[in-house]
Amino acid sequence: MWTLETMMSEAAGWLDASGPEPDVVLSTRVRLARNLSGETFPCCSSDEEAERVRERVLSAVSSCNYLTNVLVLRMEDVDAVTRRVLVERHLISAAFAEDGAGRAVVAGEGELVSAMVNEEDHLRLQCIRSGLSPVDAWRMVERIDSELERNLHYAFSSDWGYLTACPTNVGTGIRVSVLTHLAGFSRTGRIAQVLKSISKLGLSVRGFYGEGSAAQGGFFQISNQTTLGQSEEDIANTVERVAGQLVNLEHEARSELTRTDEHRLEDEVWRARGILANARMITSAEVMDLASSLRLGVALGIIDAPGLAALNRLLVVTQPGHLGRTCGETPSARERDVARADLVRRSLAGLN
Amino acid sequence: MKCERCGSRTATVRYAEVVDGSLTTWHLCEECASERGVTGSLTSLAGPLVNILMGLLEGGGGAASVDSGPTCPRCGLTYEAFRRAGRLGCGTCYEAFASQLKPLLRRIHGSTDHTGGVPSTDEGGHFRRKEISKLKRELTRAVAAEDYERAAELRDTVRARERELGGTETGDVDA
Repeated sequence: MWTLETMMSEAAGWLDASGPEPDVVLSTRVRLARNLSGETFPCCSSDEEAERVRERVLSAVSSCNYLTNVLVLRMEDVDAVTRRVLVERHLISAAFAEDGAGRAVVAGEGELVSAMVNEEDHLRLQCIRSGLSPVDAWRMVERIDSELERNLHYAFSSDWGYLTACPTNVGTGIRVSVLTHLAGFSRTGRIAQVLKSISKLGLSVRGFYGEGSAAQGGFFQISNQTTLGQSEEDIANTVERVAGQLVNLEHEARSELTRTDEHRLEDEVWRARGILANARMITSAEVMDLASSLRLGVALGIIDAPGLAALNRLLVVTQPGHLGRTCGETPSARERDVARADLVRRSLAGLN
Repeated sequence: MKCERCGSRTATVRYAEVVDGSLTTWHLCEECASERGVTGSLTSLAGPLVNILMGLLEGGGGAASVDSGPTCPRCGLTYEAFRRAGRLGCGTCYEAFASQLKPLLRRIHGSTDHTGGVPSTDEGGHFRRKEISKLKRELTRAVAAEDYERAAELRDTVRARERELGGTETGDVDA
């Protein structure tokens, strides 16, 4: 049985580093924005309308063959800490964690498939895969979307495609993003140049937690910027191709690092492990930076443990919401730092 | 639903207000709506606050008559309110603001024409309608190229497709 408790006690499936290019790409996420025809968009709808939309979407979800074992949470029943955890697990957006009428989140087993109801659009359907797999993730989300479409009449225009609350999503309503670890570029001082060329290719760059979040530890989300005028498949292919080239260039940057400054790199990796394995208080930003060094070390064979999957999980479970859940009540930042250091030490224990 | 201001009478007016760039929607009864300065139907939405804000926005000295652009006949959102909040109110807004949105979409996406997937059920004949508009464009080109044989063929196909479409219900957006 897939419950909130089981979900919280396990790490999301897409963190397991089982997909292509796991040393550089943590995950790929594809989301579709959809609205129901004849209903006001969430920004302008009444509580009653939002409620009706929610029930229509959830009823379609319950009869979808690809969504048989899902957790459905009505947001008014979800407490503040759990909401934060859902944000940290990339199941909901930060804006969605705030109060709003008729909101619900749907999460499939392993959190590979999920949906938000009544965020900016009536339905935001997403599929997350481990590693670099935009085309696969798109195919999965497309299958679910087509199933849902049999029961939901979407707002669609033959000129402008799927109609969304924000014109930046109209057309395909698709956002394909890959979460990359550009540790090599960040250390060779070429990161700014790389990010600039990515944006010249029509893709946008954000931090680990998307819109407005800072890029910590060399983690960057790269995604398509436009949604109109190209097919979904073409958009997924473009992101896959560009990210693929980026992976190759990142590999080159990493070998350049080992060639030119091997001792400094080894020193950085082992120091990072030393701090993570021994600290008694640590902030999430520091974990992000040190785990980034360790991740690079594992990828380059400088150190073998912990594996990439364990490090990916560490990046999520050390976030404030996750810790808040284990600390209970409302811990102070200081209490959280102590609990975080404890969690990190336990995760790295027995690695000597 | 009850009026969000007095909480007792039935809300019949939806009133959208833009404050600091974010859109707030109120559901009010007639009485509260008129007290707030919202007169007539929602489609003529002209709260004093909105007027002042728009006056400032247009650079005028708080002029009383401010053109807020077209209004969506379905949800009552004005183009000006959309411009400030960045969010459309419903699918019909796309039709209501078509001439304003076209250049905007071109700037954002470099295109104004959807070439991606269509609903699998093709309810309302969206897919066929799209095919018809493509055929019509081809027809224009054929006529321009004086390829009358091809043009005649295309004309017949367009007519046949339009007849097929006539039997299906039309969607709310393209109707």
